[in-house]
Amino acid sequence: MEKFDKSFPSKPLSWPRGRQWALAGVVGSGNLEVLFERNAKAPDKMDCHVESSIPGHKDSWLAALNDFAANYPVGGTKVTIHDQGADPIVVTFRLRQALDHVLKKSS
Amino acid sequence: MTSAPLFHEQTARQRISSLADADTFTEFLPPPERVMSPYLPQLDIPVSFDDGLVIGRAKIGGKPVYLAAQVGQFVGGSVGEVHGAKLTGLIQAAARDGIPCVFIVESGGVRLHEGSSGEIAISEAMRAVFECRAKRVPTIAVIGSDIGAFGGMGILTTCCDFRIITEHGRLGISGPIVIEKWMGKEAYDSSNRALVWKTSGGKTKFLLGDADLLAEDDAPSVAAAITKLLSKSNPLTLRSLKARQLELEKRMKDFGKTGDPDAIWTALGIKDVAEASLATAPEFIALAKKK
Repeated sequence: MEKFDKSFPSKPLSWPRGRQWALAGVVGSGNLEVLFERNAKAPDKMDCHVESSIPGHKDSWLAALNDFAANYPVGGTKVTIHDQGADPIVVTFRLRQALDHVLKKSS
Repeated sequence: MTSAPLFHEQTARQRISSLADADTFTEFLPPPERVMSPYLPQLDIPVSFDDGLVIGRAKIGGKPVYLAAQVGQFVGGSVGEVHGAKLTGLIQAAARDGIPCVFIVESGGVRLHEGSSGEIAISEAMRAVFECRAKRVPTIAVIGSDIGAFGGMGILTTCCDFRIITEHGRLGISGPIVIEKWMGKEAYDSSNRALVWKTSGGKTKFLLGDADLLAEDDAPSVAAAITKLLSKSNPLTLRSLKARQLELEKRMKDFGKTGDPDAIWTALGIKDVAEASLATAPEFIALAKKK
């Protein structure tokens, strides 16, 4: 297992009223789940906790998460990831999907 | 053909949101609560926020239900201690409140990594199902994916009042690979998909009467089937058990030595097996009626 915590600077995300979390993906082979939670304490940071079944790819994780935090306004968000061997493009896709779920009006 | 997404391709959460009336689903123990397996991390296996089971309250066709959906991709939809405790709690709530309980089953059974805790969890869930049945609270299992309902979940599914199955669903105790390992490839070839589906698949289970309704592979058809059953119950009495036993004995007598599943379809009234194999659910039901 690879487990780590890391914060990335990001522009503040304005969470729609009433929405506190959003989930994308499932923990399955080549897949991952991403949970977005509101974290009002650090509006200019994306706080990440990653658990992956595949060790040895921390650099790829950091690059993917850093890109995401730079490309989208996701400050004030706590991101928790449970991964079972997803490749970086799937990781980016799930992050984007979770962000979409946050921003979408109805559940 | 409908334009709705295929039910067997949807995830547990997508199935719930496409079955429940809009904005009626309230999840119990949602992901931020992090009620997760304490055992999987010890084995270096990733955990999931919902432990592979999404539970909650919803309305289907305007009627309140307790709803559970298993996540087949997560450790085979298997029932671990937390997964089983969530399931049991939901069924007990259904019995207490007199609200029907609907299970979207997608599981190979007990989570072997969790040993006895998983076994006990599934037994507790079964006991809760019988609590519902004693109180005439409907319990409905939906099997709509090829992971299907096997092992302990196969048993739990058959403990329910009713079963809804789609062509993609499978129902059994030992899965095809397990049977092949024990009996040999000559007895049962698990790579023969036609054979596997003709023995444990939705159409066969519907023909045999092991499933009560056969639905098309989309959420609107499944929801319509659920709605039909919500106000019914299937009382469990000594008489109904004895009748079922006789039915199973007759099945053993009629088909126990049959090696060809097509012969079973024919004996059960399907004239053109090739046509029936390709038929949609409503077409198949019509063909099965023309005995």
